[in-house]
Amino acid sequence: MRDEFRRALATAEDTLAELADLAAAAVAQATVALLDADKDAAESSLEQNQALRTRLTELENNAYNLLALQAPVASDLRVLVTVVRLGADVERMGSLAAHIAETAKRGSTVPEPLTPIFRQMGEVAQQMAIDAGAALRSRDTADAARLEADDDTVDRLRLELFGQIAGEWPYGAETAADVALVGRYYERFADHAVAIADAVVYLVTGAVAE
Amino acid sequence: MSKGLEVKDLNIYYGSFLAVEGVSMSIEPRSVTAFIGPSGCGKSTVLRTLNRMHEVIPGARVEGKVLLEGEDIYGSSVDPVNVRRTIGMVFQRPNPFPTMSIYDNVIAGLKLQGRQKKSTLDETVERSLQGANLWNEVKDRLKKPGSGLSGGQQQRLCIARAIAVEPDVLLMDEPCSALDPISTLAIEDLIQQLKTEYTIVIVTHNMQQAARVSERTGFFNLSAVGKPGKLVEMDDTQKIFTNPTDKRTEDYITGRFG
Repeated sequence: MRDEFRRALATAEDTLAELADLAAAAVAQATVALLDADKDAAESSLEQNQALRTRLTELENNAYNLLALQAPVASDLRVLVTVVRLGADVERMGSLAAHIAETAKRGSTVPEPLTPIFRQMGEVAQQMAIDAGAALRSRDTADAARLEADDDTVDRLRLELFGQIAGEWPYGAETAADVALVGRYYERFADHAVAIADAVVYLVTGAVAE
Repeated sequence: MSKGLEVKDLNIYYGSFLAVEGVSMSIEPRSVTAFIGPSGCGKSTVLRTLNRMHEVIPGARVEGKVLLEGEDIYGSSVDPVNVRRTIGMVFQRPNPFPTMSIYDNVIAGLKLQGRQKKSTLDETVERSLQGANLWNEVKDRLKKPGSGLSGGQQQRLCIARAIAVEPDVLLMDEPCSALDPISTLAIEDLIQQLKTEYTIVIVTHNMQQAARVSERTGFFNLSAVGKPGKLVEMDDTQKIFTNPTDKRTEDYITGRFG
């Protein structure tokens, strides 16, 4: 029963997972742009972010309509609350990727010794967004724990960056600011991916993560 | 006024047919308890055992206990008529006595208790109609027949009649199912006011109504046609509608079956 409503809920959940995939693609392109000074990659990242925003608006409108018209309860309500809540997280992920892409577009380059750190940050951040989307699709609460571990990796890499800036720093103040900010963007991106994983726990169990 | 109910191991029969099996629950005083479930699950049957209305059907009988503040309403020395005065009932279709005036409808229950002074009756009529949120609409036509009122007004008249005898508990069997949405909301508001004085148990097919008006919700279901109905889950209404414990409750309230 309520087949159409059920299909609409499933579509909303799928779309949210696809938005996480878009965020993953956006951050991957932004990392390429940053490390290879590749302006096309930067543009491509910004386009992914734009696509994410357009689809998010549509998704949120659908979610509000279902809330207003279908009086969802219990797990159905949790799906829609999650869609609306996580919409804000994937939007931030897209924006943070865009900030990285814009920094690259402006011509800021990463000093050679720091590229391995940023490369790894970019890889882990991309994988976290992919895993967050996968967790939404599988509804597997075990995936949440894996994202926490990846988040620790990103936090550690960011501390490493700070250590570099605070030590011998021959690259000037502007580069220092860019490096610190971009590091911060990756770190926040990872935090939002973790929020998605935590929401999967809520979706399945109704328990709110601490 | 306003007493709690304790239901213990209730089995309800129509002749040899076990209609409802093993219901135990406690109903808090001065609160609204809603019974929900698909048709034929026994929720109205359970409601009618709470004031011994079930046994008026030939062959119908009850096993188990229903305690009103500790006293079994099925005790051998208990008069069922007295139980029904203490535990009032409002039905699905508004059923005012059609030839009686609004005034006489309200005091119909009181008259069964013998003669009363006119001033006492006047006071009761005003208090009950005020309590049922109907006074302002009918105070100038108390001598007109109750059947001249709208459906929603008639239902409030029936609620006034039920509370005129100052019961401890008010049972409502789908009180809004014959009413339009505005009258329904008026009755729901009234239920919120009445619960400060009465213990209310409501059977409703409208799950949103259960969600809106009740503090506790009991979900009844039967495993198959011909099997007895059972209380699947009873919990705080907020819990039932956000994260019920039993999968059958979840499936019912989200419309996966029922």
